[in-house]
Amino acid sequence: GESLGKMAATAVVPGLGSSDFSDLREIKKQLLSVAERSRERGLQHSGKWASELAFALDPLPLSELPAAPVLTEEDARDLDAYTLAKSYFDLKEYDRAAYFLRGCKSQKAYFLYMYSRYLSGEKKKDDETVDSLGPLEKGQVKNEALRELRVELSKKHKAQELDGFGLYLYGVVLRKLDLVKEAIDVFVEAAHVLPLHWGAWLELCNLITDKEMLKCLSLPDTWMKEFFLAHIYTELQLIEEALQKYQSLIDAGFSKSTYIISQIAVAYHNIRDIDKALSIFNELRKQDPYRIENMDTFSNLLYVRSMKPELSYLAHNLCEIDKYRVETCCVIGNYYSLRSQHEKAALYFQRALKLNPRYLGAWTLMGHEYMEMKNTSAAIQAYRHAIEVNKRDYRAWYGLGQTYEILKMPFYCLYYYRRAHQLRPNDSRMLVALGECYEKLNQLVEAKKCYWRAYAVGDVEKMALVKLAKLHEQLNESEQAAQCYIKYIQDIYSCGEIVEHLEVSTAFRYLAQYYFKCKLWDEASACAQKCCAFNDTREEGKALLRQILQLRNQGETSSTEISAPFFLPAALSSNNTPTRRVSPLNLSSVTP
Amino acid sequence: MASVHESLYFNPMMTNGVVHANVFGIKDCVTPYKMALLVLLSELGRAGAQLSLLERRRLNRLLLPLLQGPDMMLSRLHKAIKESCPNLANSVQIRIKLMAEGELKDMEQFFDDLSDSFTGTEPEVHKTSVVGLFLRHMILAYNKLSFSQVYKLYTALQQYYQNDEKKTGIDETDMELTNTDELEGKMEKEELDVPLREEEISCSGPLSQKQAEYFLSQQASLLKNDETKALTPAFLQKELNNLLKFNPDFAEAHYLSYLNSLRVQDVFSSTHSLLHYFDRLILTGAESKSNGDEGYGRSLRYAALNLAALHCRFGHYQQAELALQEAIRIAQESNDHVCLQHCLSWLYILEQKRSDSCVLLEHSVKKAVHFGLPYLASLGIQSLVQQRAFAGKTANKLMDALKDSDLLHWKHSLSELIDISIAQKTAIWRLYGRSTMALQQAQMLLSMNSLEAVNVGVQQNNTESFAVVLCHLAELHAEQGCFAAASEILKHLKERFPPSSQHAQLWMLFDQKIQFDRAMNDGKYHVADSFVAGITALNSIEGVYRKAIVLKAQNQMSEAHKLLQKLLIHCQNIKNTEMVISVLLSIAELYWRSSCHTIALPVLLQALALSREYRLQYLASETVLNLAFSQLILGIPEQALNILHTAIEPILAHGAVLDKGCAMFLVAKCQVASAASYSPQKKAEALESAILNLNEAKTYFAKVDCKEQLRDVLYFQARLFHTLGNTQERNKCAMLFRQVHQELPAHGVPLINAFK
Repeated sequence: GESLGKMAATAVVPGLGSSDFSDLREIKKQLLSVAERSRERGLQHSGKWASELAFALDPLPLSELPAAPVLTEEDARDLDAYTLAKSYFDLKEYDRAAYFLRGCKSQKAYFLYMYSRYLSGEKKKDDETVDSLGPLEKGQVKNEALRELRVELSKKHKAQELDGFGLYLYGVVLRKLDLVKEAIDVFVEAAHVLPLHWGAWLELCNLITDKEMLKCLSLPDTWMKEFFLAHIYTELQLIEEALQKYQSLIDAGFSKSTYIISQIAVAYHNIRDIDKALSIFNELRKQDPYRIENMDTFSNLLYVRSMKPELSYLAHNLCEIDKYRVETCCVIGNYYSLRSQHEKAALYFQRALKLNPRYLGAWTLMGHEYMEMKNTSAAIQAYRHAIEVNKRDYRAWYGLGQTYEILKMPFYCLYYYRRAHQLRPNDSRMLVALGECYEKLNQLVEAKKCYWRAYAVGDVEKMALVKLAKLHEQLNESEQAAQCYIKYIQDIYSCGEIVEHLEVSTAFRYLAQYYFKCKLWDEASACAQKCCAFNDTREEGKALLRQILQLRNQGETSSTEISAPFFLPAALSSNNTPTRRVSPLNLSSVTP
Repeated sequence: MASVHESLYFNPMMTNGVVHANVFGIKDCVTPYKMALLVLLSELGRAGAQLSLLERRRLNRLLLPLLQGPDMMLSRLHKAIKESCPNLANSVQIRIKLMAEGELKDMEQFFDDLSDSFTGTEPEVHKTSVVGLFLRHMILAYNKLSFSQVYKLYTALQQYYQNDEKKTGIDETDMELTNTDELEGKMEKEELDVPLREEEISCSGPLSQKQAEYFLSQQASLLKNDETKALTPAFLQKELNNLLKFNPDFAEAHYLSYLNSLRVQDVFSSTHSLLHYFDRLILTGAESKSNGDEGYGRSLRYAALNLAALHCRFGHYQQAELALQEAIRIAQESNDHVCLQHCLSWLYILEQKRSDSCVLLEHSVKKAVHFGLPYLASLGIQSLVQQRAFAGKTANKLMDALKDSDLLHWKHSLSELIDISIAQKTAIWRLYGRSTMALQQAQMLLSMNSLEAVNVGVQQNNTESFAVVLCHLAELHAEQGCFAAASEILKHLKERFPPSSQHAQLWMLFDQKIQFDRAMNDGKYHVADSFVAGITALNSIEGVYRKAIVLKAQNQMSEAHKLLQKLLIHCQNIKNTEMVISVLLSIAELYWRSSCHTIALPVLLQALALSREYRLQYLASETVLNLAFSQLILGIPEQALNILHTAIEPILAHGAVLDKGCAMFLVAKCQVASAASYSPQKKAEALESAILNLNEAKTYFAKVDCKEQLRDVLYFQARLFHTLGNTQERNKCAMLFRQVHQELPAHGVPLINAFK
């Protein structure tokens, strides 16, 4: 009771009660003090997070530095044991630390005591996994300490003797025992008692699976909540909201925080805004050149853009910093993959998984490598593993679909693409893949829907429209086909890239013929001229131009015979004339 | 959960971490149970000469199942040995106790000594014998263990022994699986004073590979043969989830989970499990042969085929067809005729849902015979027979075909198909209106089952054939007015096929149909109406038909007529002849109820022609009754009597009690009508005989509780007695009439104008 009162007094510092960022000095003070307290308890990551954030704010004058925490009677009693145990703890001798801490009453020493026991169990579990008694026992090893810890902590919890850190540990234990609901409650409580502790917020991020769950939580109204919300929005793929939050955090004065910069880069990566993400990552590397975190995401971006030299530089650089990091292995894997050395790439992804079996991305990437090596069964396994780790990994579902598509089972892979599509409803790649499968199954109506939707949500690869146009062509729906080609051409040229797009020539050829059939000579000849700019359609374009010229010469006499309604039904002409008028205009301004 | 271990899968230098050279299916891994067996073997060697011949023989017989079976509790092992040789059991127990309560070195010493049995001029154990191989496997596996693993094994042994100590006294007849769960659950409860949720308790004990395999195969066979004995869907799923949590690579568990989801009609999770299973299976296939025909290409084909089956099961015929096309294409590419054959059968099933062409099927049967797939061949023959029966082929041809396929079944002892064949015969006899034959066939299947249980030991209890036969049996009993027996049968059906199971819909339909008929007989039309919705849900055509009947009974003629016309057109389209005739009869009845007998006649003749063409004896007789009635009303009772004589025989022999009653009633009416022109003497005789016939009709109606008809009969009888001047009898009938009449609501239908 008494100690709890003290805890509360130290936890609720003025300025924390609201989520405004007006007093940055106060925030910095809080961050510094919580970093110190986290470190005292061996919570390295929370400490790191708080210090990183504190570093982004202006330095405080000597007078305003937070004073060393006041020691209580209990603290003083436990000081020797604590000091000894902390040094053992730092050397990863957890059992030894726990032994000397037994019987300690002060909050700090008690936390370290419990935390050492927890980590000792985790460490033993990891060691056991390596030499279990044969394949039967695989996956059966568990942290033996968890159950005892839960019993003790739940007693303390009932008696309300746990401080914010203690609650956090209790939550972690519950989560490890798969008691998700209870764990969430405890983490929320921990966030209320000690909002400054980032670890509790981060654990919440991992447990909350959708927006509805998020809405149901009653969270403390502090400025930490903003960081939490931004983070979880990124996790839940609500990128727009996340970016907004991060922007407002930057505006509030955290512009130098590497954490926020990296999060923004990841967010841009998630919505496939590759250029923005790349530039932000480059900026991040300038500010924090020895950073390894998030570099796997950076390498993914470089990979997508096929930037070999940059990726190679990154790989070398990271390898120099620390080659036994998951991220490093991943970067190197990506590098080899880009160089088409897929065996080596797979090897590095395997290494990443050995370093951290729960590192989800590597399973998926390994699946991709096996796909490249045409080892479909191994690829299926890798993707399945990825899904086992995280059911919401849309890349793995997509990969599975691709694998079965390669095995020529278009119906079978529909299921997998659908799963991927469910997880990323606005990703055009899944929709295009779905459309292709439907096309192979001769389900043209569904295929059309998929392609149209893919275009509507913003087609990344710009292929949906061409495919849609071809479908219309196949179904003799020439009007719609022409419209699709027109939109496609507009799309290609409006985005400003003068990339050699294979299908542009096809589009022009079709349009030229279409206008020719409709006897719109001007448009037809414009398109035919465009055709001449491409190798594969040059001859056809020239031939068409000649024909047009011929017909035009005769046409002076015959044009009166062919009346407009003959090829333009009233309903269609009213619908289509605007686009038809638009397209030639646009085309004239285009320089292929 | 991904452990480091699993990543070894992808190391080309390693093969899955499992040594494949296991002759007896023993995985090369030392467990406490295996150690207990080793102790037993060494004790056996030590005791050697002291054992009597009988004990020795019993022990040898015991050894093989022990070596091959799943791990069991120490107490159970102890019991098993004790039954063969009590002395040995005790010494084994003591040695394990010494080892478990001693030190690590005791165990080390034990394994050191084990290899001694191979040495010497005359070794106790031959190296290549079953026991010898087991010993060598174990010694090898033990030697491979690292120190920490050895220590772990030792603690496991201690645990094994201590668990057993604790356990003595607790009942152990149940499965170990559940037992240990409960026990640990209790322990947990004692440890914690926090209330525990159910989920927590169940996710405690991981199973060993063998135990898991045993559990899966047991449950799968129960699901196939006797679903009621299997775990409930929810519980089974929980166990499976638990299993998968500890053993994510256990592909079979996914398949069982697929089967389990099918039980509860869960499309989503069954698809999920099925695909997951094949994803996993592809790995094991890939190991045996990289990408050849036998390798994972094969599982790909069957994956697509299974998916087709799944969609078909849920009625997604279009998707099923797409999946099937895929399976066919892959199978064709790799020349897998067996798979293609399966595909062909499925293709027929799908086609059948839409058209009634049987070209495919004939083709399939021929091919199946060619490739030596008797199962598929006779399944095809059975489908053909079914189809031909609907198409109106004569019974003898169908029975011949079934007999031929039966020969095939007995030859290959395909008991499942024999069951189907008998069920089919029951159904065909019913279709032709031969209730006695149907009854006989149904009884045959039910009693044959007990025969087979003795022979094979596999009792297939919840197959579709049983459901079909039992349903027919129930309906046959209900037709004969034995409602108690019928409901008894239905009760049994409910137990055997719980409402969530696959074939439950069958009895649900029959149950409601029987109840509907009873309510109609009783004149409780509103009650009957309440069953219509239920029937419609299970079979829409039947439902609409019943709705029309209720409307007709409630005198809503025009609505009934509208409904029947619609139904008629629909049934003609889908070629459901049986229903077409029934509908025609109902329409005719509507006509004569509205006194349009002349319009009814052509309809009835049409029905008669159809039922004769398709040899639907039962419906033909009913049509004749209707015809005779119309003739009676049209004033040609002699003619009516004539055609009645042709129909009355099959009705009395095979018909339902209600029909028998109606027929007799009609005969009496015709007799009376035709007697009008007779001389007084002859007239009296005719009336006497009519009264006798009415008595018979009365007993029939009483049997099925048809109060309305009973009332009519009584009225009629009273009139006849009156004509004959038999006042006493007349008064008796009149009194009975009054009693019945008071119970019944008055209806607008004129008494004489109805025969039904």
